[in-house]
Amino acid sequence: MSAYKDKDPRIHGIKARIRVVPDFPKPGIMFQDITTLLLDPSAFKDTIDLFVERYKGRNISVVAGVEARGFIFGPPIALAIGAKFVPLRKPGKLPGQVISEKYVLEYGSDCLQMHVGAVEPDDRALVVDDLVATGGTLCAAINLLERVGAQVVECTCVIELPDLKGRERLNGKPLYVLVESH
Amino acid sequence: MSSLQQLAKFRAPSQLRMGGQLGRCPSCSFSPPGAVRASDLGRSTTEKAISPKLTCSAAAEKSGSFAFTRVVDTEGAARGPGTGPVRAQQMATGDASDPRIAGIAKSIRVIPDFPKPGILFQDITTLLLHTKAFRDTIDLFVERYQGKGISVVAGVEARGFIFGPPIALAIGAKFVPMRKPNKLPGPVIAEEYSLEYGTDKMEMHEGAVEAGEKVLVIDDLIATGGTLGAAIRLLGRVGAHVVECACVIELPELKGRDRLGDTPLFVLVSSA
Repeated sequence: MSAYKDKDPRIHGIKARIRVVPDFPKPGIMFQDITTLLLDPSAFKDTIDLFVERYKGRNISVVAGVEARGFIFGPPIALAIGAKFVPLRKPGKLPGQVISEKYVLEYGSDCLQMHVGAVEPDDRALVVDDLVATGGTLCAAINLLERVGAQVVECTCVIELPDLKGRERLNGKPLYVLVESH
Repeated sequence: MSSLQQLAKFRAPSQLRMGGQLGRCPSCSFSPPGAVRASDLGRSTTEKAISPKLTCSAAAEKSGSFAFTRVVDTEGAARGPGTGPVRAQQMATGDASDPRIAGIAKSIRVIPDFPKPGILFQDITTLLLHTKAFRDTIDLFVERYQGKGISVVAGVEARGFIFGPPIALAIGAKFVPMRKPNKLPGPVIAEEYSLEYGTDKMEMHEGAVEAGEKVLVIDDLIATGGTLGAAIRLLGRVGAHVVECACVIELPELKGRDRLGDTPLFVLVSSA
């Protein structure tokens, strides 16, 4: 589901602030750059408000943000809804004991880690990232949270690239986005 | 003298260690040793469905079950488990007793020997698990910086991305990420800075900050000041004015404060 379809009046301003950078990180890719959204305080505030309005009062106890751009959107949501913020990171960054989940890239594989003990079996979790493409990263995040017994309520991103069908790769978890980019 | 050698003169009896975080480590082992509870030592380190409960030092003081390396203070007297590993200290405001500071300090976990032996890593992820401590952290910064005409909050990757945006949103400023090389997609300007061994680079998008803007630079911790110094230089090159650097934690023995030129530093807690 996306707010774009719901036509909330704030969405237009948010979409307008996202810059598309061609051929990054490699030729043929149109990179969706959210840093320009962060340069417009009222559009950035609208982005967070839209997420908070959706998730407040739903007893979500954990917001898990995927490194690094999930760290920008996740904490403001967590603070507003009264949830813990849990960073999900690339290998070797988290200093304490971790659990790891491997996932497949276009070429090769990568790994996402979470601190042991950060999330508990009775936690209800929201996964946040700036963008969903193939869904590989979000799927790894869902797996990490479910392995410690938490319930993943939803995944949420600013942007979806629907042509890459990431929505279908989320173990049946719902996905909510603000804008789609074809 | 390297920072590690400087710290060695504070070395105390065998099981007590003193260290500091020497800036960003470029590579770490896949599963670094962490601070584990004594009761977990018998478990397999491979991932299991049920994880041990993470406790901050406040809860650990009650249960006595969390294994911390004790920190030696400069007088050489070891602190017992009751006082926690991080001493709270207000710096520039003159109010040394904001009641929120103690809770923030207690929620920070110290991990020995990360990223390498002898270092005591200040882990803010446990602070983020305590909703009141996290909210208080942001509130303390917002109270200091709102209404001062600051139009930019620049956050250093990656932990500066956690604290910077909530502050920016609350004071109505832009948030500008300062990143490792090749992460930002558009045209960038770059500034090199020294590490213990070698150098690293910090990048900022061209056009993100304009001449004359007043900027706050945010990171979770200041150690040697190398990273923050690079951020100040980058912002100066586009004609912006860095009014202050703000961090949750300072490691004062590493004298990072002295490496920021004329830019003042504000921190919530000091770990000596």
